[in-house]
Amino acid sequence: MLKVLMQIGVIVAGLGGMTYAHGQQMTEMFIPVGQSPGVSDKSSLIGTIDSMDEKNRTVTVSAQSGVQTVGLTNRTKIWLDRSLLKAPNQSGTSADLQKGRKIEVKLEQGERKQVAEWVKVQLTEPGAGPGAAAK
Amino acid sequence: MRKVVQCDRSPQPVAVAVGVTIVVAMATFSACQTPPRPPSDLIAKGKNLFFNETFKGNGRTCGTCHRAEANLSINPAFIATLPPNDPLFVAEFNPDLKKNFENPKLMRQFALILENLDGFEDLEKQFVMRGVPHVLSLRTSVNSPQGPRTGWSGDGAPGDGSLRSFATGAVIQHFPKTLNRVAGVDFRLPTAEELDALEAFQLSLGRQQDVTLPLPLKGIVPKRGQEIFLDNSLGKCNLCHSNAGATANLGGGNIGNANFNTGVETLPDQPADLTGELVPPDDGFGKPGDGTFNTPPLVEAADTGPFFHNNAIETIEGAVAFYDGESFNNSPAGHTLAAADPEGVGIELDGTQIVAIAAFLRVMNALENIRQSIELLEASAQKRFMERQQAKELLKRAITETGDSIRVLKGGGLHPQAVAHLKKAKELAEDAACSIFSRHRLTEQAIEEQKNARNELVESSPARS
Ligand code: HEC
Ligand code: HEC
Repeated sequence: MLKVLMQIGVIVAGLGGMTYAHGQQMTEMFIPVGQSPGVSDKSSLIGTIDSMDEKNRTVTVSAQSGVQTVGLTNRTKIWLDRSLLKAPNQSGTSADLQKGRKIEVKLEQGERKQVAEWVKVQLTEPGAGPGAAAK
Repeated sequence: MRKVVQCDRSPQPVAVAVGVTIVVAMATFSACQTPPRPPSDLIAKGKNLFFNETFKGNGRTCGTCHRAEANLSINPAFIATLPPNDPLFVAEFNPDLKKNFENPKLMRQFALILENLDGFEDLEKQFVMRGVPHVLSLRTSVNSPQGPRTGWSGDGAPGDGSLRSFATGAVIQHFPKTLNRVAGVDFRLPTAEELDALEAFQLSLGRQQDVTLPLPLKGIVPKRGQEIFLDNSLGKCNLCHSNAGATANLGGGNIGNANFNTGVETLPDQPADLTGELVPPDDGFGKPGDGTFNTPPLVEAADTGPFFHNNAIETIEGAVAFYDGESFNNSPAGHTLAAADPEGVGIELDGTQIVAIAAFLRVMNALENIRQSIELLEASAQKRFMERQQAKELLKRAITETGDSIRVLKGGGLHPQAVAHLKKAKELAEDAACSIFSRHRLTEQAIEEQKNARNELVESSPARS
């Protein structure tokens, strides 16, 4: 019986019993750059955008710890932090990752390459909105 | 005549008393060591934030939904006692929150709360309706090797996903003045120190460790219920709710607080659906969801219904019967159990067995309430004359817990003798709350009656004081 049940363990794992439980509640998008609990003070990358490479889907960030290049995937969430403008935060696109803007990147855990789980870009100019750069 | 606890005109919020369980050492249930506790001033600060801090939002506090007087949860009967201006009902009186913030009908009828668990892009259609879980025994029910699991789907917290970070997400979801949800305008976010305090307070609530089953129960029906619960080829409950807690042990050791798809979402005739209101499907963990939900602890269940993430079932008997039904047995979890069963059965129980398991869960809950009541009464007895107001608050809390014990046992037709002792204990505590000179004596007598009640439920053992 024990052996059979051990098997269940494995099967149930496949059913989602063992899914990695990272904080992915959607309220994250409303948390301003630098204030994500247990992330901003520990593990995220905060700096200014040096460049965005659309072809390779990477963004290069100038942070206190040095310059770092991070990959974006189609799972990466991009949010526009407009709290300094007293406007609601929104979803954005890689077109919003403009040089000079403040950025916070949460890296995916357990990835070999540096890949972003989410990215927050701080907007300080009134009128800036999703994809504004592309227009 | 029912006695009223309020014997003078200066009622204090009951809330203040709830965190007290922390000061007194855990005495009953299990003989294991008590884990280290954070400093009591941090817990006191967290308690104050939990029940009083609005974070400059719409007026709600954490205690608006996690009510001190309702086992840190909320249910339709309790909601019916609230005045129309209670901040729970902001969507009914604040024009900015009228649309797409709550569904007042489902809130009042079924205590369901709206949550935008899959994002805030389409507020009109993209939301789920969930019950309010109690926040008791979190120390035993959140951890897993894959990280902390909070909320009904285990993915409730932003940031690092921890219990500490949960409060930040709760403020954004439930506290905003407008749906713009701009930090610094519609609410303020909790500071790092506030998160520490809130976490310390929440971890101090309820049990600090799991029970060790089986208990030497005296009632023959609850005792049989316990056997079925623990029988991995019959009730199979203990596989996922190890020791009636929130961790799973599928045979290869304890895997912590796990997620499963048990098919609750596929239940037919769910009360909320019957109203004709829009109740979008809840896809559980992640986005898109994988259909799994997080296992809750069961010791606290019997007095914290309605049950499951969607409050789909009102009674504990009904919640147990769910496992004998089509929805469970056709779910991924049901299929998995059937595949491992020599006879290919998932979970199959008969009426008597369902009631026996429920009786077991009722007795477990009453024992936990008695444990808490004794702690509260003992803490109250230690208060001196000058601290009688605090003593009274502790007594009130014990009275509420005792009321729950009585209801839970009576509701299952269980242990009338224990119920008689508990009624006596409640009266004594009520008298103590109103007495100036006999408070100590009456409180001590109430403690004795609680112990008498416990002795009706379970054989006394040296581990139990
Ligand atoms: C409007 C009602 C409401 C308010 C106010 C509220 N909560 Fe909750 N709480 C809920 C609901 C509903 C859930 C279930 C959430 C889910 O499944 O994601 C929940 C879940 C939780 C959980 C998860 C418990 C578990 O067993 O995993 C914690 C912890 C919690 N709340 C703490 C808080 C704190 C701290 C606050 C104040 C900052 C708060 N809540 C304010 C309704 C509320
Ligand atoms: C495969 C794992 C699994 C098994 C086996 C299992 N449960 Fe559960 N249980 C869960 C999960 C997951 C939930 C939460 C489901 C939801 O809300 O969608 C739950 C919820 C519950 C609840 C509701 C608690 C609350 O606070 O709302 C009760 C009661 C319950 N289970 C009792 C039992 C009993 C009794 C048995 C045995 C007959 C049992 N469970 C077997 C995983 C399991």
